[in-house]
Amino acid sequence: MVHAEELTRSFGALRALDRVSLKVRPGEVFGLLGPNGAGKTTLVRVLTGVLRPDGGRAWVAGLDVARASYRVKERIGYATQEQSVYRDLTVEENLLFRASLYRPKEAKALAEEALVRFGLGPYAKALAGHLSGGWRQRLALAQAVVHRPEVLFLDEPTTGLDPLSRRGIWDLIHEEAKRGAAVLVTTHYMDEAERCHRLALLLGGRVLAQGTPQELKALARERARFLFAQGVSLEALRGLPDVLEAWPSGEGVRLIARPSFPLGPGFREVEPSLEDVFVLLAKEAL
Amino acid sequence: MSRVLALAQKELLQIRRDHVLPRLILLLPTAMLLLFGYAINFTLKGIPLALYDGSKDRISEALLGQLTREGVFRLALEAESPEGVVAAIDRGQARVGLAVPPKALEKVRRGESVAPRVYVDGTDPNFAFQAQAALRKALQEVNARILVGRALAGETVLPPLAPELHTLYNPENRTAWFMIPGIIGLVLTMFTVLLTALSIVREAESRMMESLLASPLRPHEMVLGKVLPYLAIAFGVALLVLALGHWAFGVPVRGSLGLLLLAMFLFVLGSLAAGVLISTLARTQVQAVFGTYAYAFPTIFLSGFVFPLDGMPRFFQLLSYLVPARYLIEALRGVMLKGVGLGVLWPHLLALALFSGLVLFLASVRLGRQVAV
Repeated sequence: MVHAEELTRSFGALRALDRVSLKVRPGEVFGLLGPNGAGKTTLVRVLTGVLRPDGGRAWVAGLDVARASYRVKERIGYATQEQSVYRDLTVEENLLFRASLYRPKEAKALAEEALVRFGLGPYAKALAGHLSGGWRQRLALAQAVVHRPEVLFLDEPTTGLDPLSRRGIWDLIHEEAKRGAAVLVTTHYMDEAERCHRLALLLGGRVLAQGTPQELKALARERARFLFAQGVSLEALRGLPDVLEAWPSGEGVRLIARPSFPLGPGFREVEPSLEDVFVLLAKEAL
Repeated sequence: MSRVLALAQKELLQIRRDHVLPRLILLLPTAMLLLFGYAINFTLKGIPLALYDGSKDRISEALLGQLTREGVFRLALEAESPEGVVAAIDRGQARVGLAVPPKALEKVRRGESVAPRVYVDGTDPNFAFQAQAALRKALQEVNARILVGRALAGETVLPPLAPELHTLYNPENRTAWFMIPGIIGLVLTMFTVLLTALSIVREAESRMMESLLASPLRPHEMVLGKVLPYLAIAFGVALLVLALGHWAFGVPVRGSLGLLLLAMFLFVLGSLAAGVLISTLARTQVQAVFGTYAYAFPTIFLSGFVFPLDGMPRFFQLLSYLVPARYLIEALRGVMLKGVGLGVLWPHLLALALFSGLVLFLASVRLGRQVAV
């Protein structure tokens, strides 16, 4: 499990993390959702013991990250944003190397098992550099979990992949959680966030809100109306004081408005997506 | 330890997978050895000589015979006049000229001095110096023979000073003997520093460092794992150069091989650490290459590898004390050519140990700071 309390980290004048607190339980896929520069990667680096926080504390797998960083590192898996595989080594060699960094005695068996579990068997002898993007990402994921870590950190594991490959990767992520691992995934794809058990919305180094996707949507519905309108001009809507955000959608206009916004003819309420929730919370935070 | 081995093994795999590197590692030192051993030869042979023989008697015959006897000079051209000798050097047909005046034998018999004129192409001071020495030696031999002949005849006394010259350690002045210890030093410097720096910077450049930092690999394990393969390679290559030098050029190892290996080990340790140090300063592989050049350049010029330190201005002589390869090369020459032991070489070994200790310390401090960002 992961437990962060009031984590703060600055780079010069930039506050990359501003009193971030969150908890990830075993068997849970926890999403860290936010745009580029929100502080997602910084948080992962602090929690994996790569980066020291300026303030706050963090426990991973029951250990204080600042005090026992190497014992923490032994129990976690981390797939970095840049598919961290050696392109001049084969799939099998990559897995074997990772496994022997953590559990040298069982390395061979672990690598073998990961090959099977991730369907990489047919590519075992292929150079990682010759794999397609989707398969290389599969390998990156496989080597992050080859040693069966208790906690798994995945930094944007699906960036740049086609929808089919993304689905495949998400299935694998859920399998790891089923195995009992606490999984922390960062993403800026809002649709992917729906696949997480729980989420934290991150912006400018701060957690805007956290909870299950349903909880977040319910929270958003209390604070705003999510509408679809037809036969209304986008420009006119944008000029209204109660309209927080409006954008074209299909043959009409989607808008987020204050609760006081009157429902006229042509308007109907719609279920907010996580993107809507994020837009609303981001607007409120600014 | 198992983590160190895992990293070292991965490193060796990557070197083996590289199409060019393993061949370069083997070919470069061999090529350097052959180049410096055979081609770049400071021992002169077959220097083209232009001769004007105004006497055509026993004296001029003896002189020419002495000059061409050991193959140092060869008669390239016989000029019609003393001026023709210089003209031949001008045209590049000869590099050394000798003009023997007329009636040399008669003068010698009368007890007068003969003054043959000698011209040396001075465009290359190194060449001129050696050619003059060879000419002087030949002339002295002829002089001595004449004097001995006269002394036997009871005519004259021998010159008061008749030095007997002994060149120690390398009596035949073989260039390879002088060069090979230097080549070992240069190969050890280039290989260890460059390859280590590159392998670490490559890790950072390809963004693999992040996941290594998040693994249980400790900083010192990372350094060891990165450095061990190159330690083995550098040693292997140094021994290859040593063996080639021994078999192909007859370079002796007169002292203890253990002492030789100890000096090499101390030096390699420091060089590997220097590679790590450069890798912490360089962000790209190109920067690492230039950093290594900046480090290796003084090694070439200020280590006594080719250029004798004795001829340098005092400032550079003092500067050379800061170049670790200087101590290695002196130790190698000491063991290989002079056959001296620890009693003589300990200051060099101590200097190498200090250098290695210092650079290792700096490298681990820099790396530690980088890891704990």
